[in-house]
Amino acid sequence: MSFTVESKINENIARLTLTGALDSSTAPILQEEVMKIIPQNPLELVMYVEHLDFMASAGLRIIIFAKQKLGTQAKLILVKPQDQLIETLKMTGLIFSVVIVDQYPE
Amino acid sequence: MNNLEESKTFVASLESLEPMRDFVSQTGSNAGLNKKQIYGLCIAVDEIATNIILYGYQNSGIDNGLINIHTIFEKENFTVILEDSSTPFNPLETKIPDENELGLPLEERKIGGLGILMAKESVDEFRYEYKDGKNFNIFSVRPNDD
Repeated sequence: MSFTVESKINENIARLTLTGALDSSTAPILQEEVMKIIPQNPLELVMYVEHLDFMASAGLRIIIFAKQKLGTQAKLILVKPQDQLIETLKMTGLIFSVVIVDQYPE
Repeated sequence: MNNLEESKTFVASLESLEPMRDFVSQTGSNAGLNKKQIYGLCIAVDEIATNIILYGYQNSGIDNGLINIHTIFEKENFTVILEDSSTPFNPLETKIPDENELGLPLEERKIGGLGILMAKESVDEFRYEYKDGKNFNIFSVRPNDD
C-alpha cells in the first residue's frame, strides 16, 4: 500500500484526494501539496479520504498545520472518512475542528 | 489454541513502517483480532517506531539501528513488543495533551504529544521496560473483547 495525493484548486476551494497510508514516511508528500495550497488562501480545504486506509499522527499534524495557516474562517472538510479515522479524530479532539460529510458538494 | 509467538527484525528506517504494520496486521489477524484492534495496534506500533527511528537512534548516533517486533498470543492476550537498542526513552513519561488542550480550536493547539496519546488510547495496555541496554515497548489487546 502506498500513498497518493491529488490536488485541485479553483474558486477558493482546494480539493485533495488521499489514498493509501499516511505515516511519517509518506507525510512529506501531503505536506508539499499543502504548502502549495496555503499561499492561495482557499476558503475551504476539502479532503477526500474514503480510500485513506491509515493515518498516523504525522497526518494529523499536517491537518493542524494547514488549519493554523489558513485561519479561523477557512473550513476543513473531510469526505467519507473510514471508521478508524473517525476514532482517531475523536481521541485527538480534531473532530471538533473539521466538518465530516458523505459527499461534497452536498 | 496453543501459544503462538512470532518475531521479525526491521531496519530502523521510515520505509520499515509499512512492513511493520503489515507484520502486526498479519499476526493479529491470525490470532482472531477484530479490525479495530488490529488498526489500534498498527497505530501504536507506527507511532512508537517512528519515535525510535527519528529520535531514539538519531540521538544515539547509531545509523544502522534495528527494531525487533515480537508478537505473542497466549490465553486472553495478544501482545506486541517493540525492542530497540537506542537511547533509553519511556514514552509513558512524556507529557500528552490533556482534555482541555484537546478541546481547543486547532488554531490554538500545540503540535506535539499526539502520537503517544494515540498509541496509549489505541490499545488495551501499554507498558514500557528498559533492561539489558534495550527499550521494550509492550502493547496488549484482548481478542475476546468487542
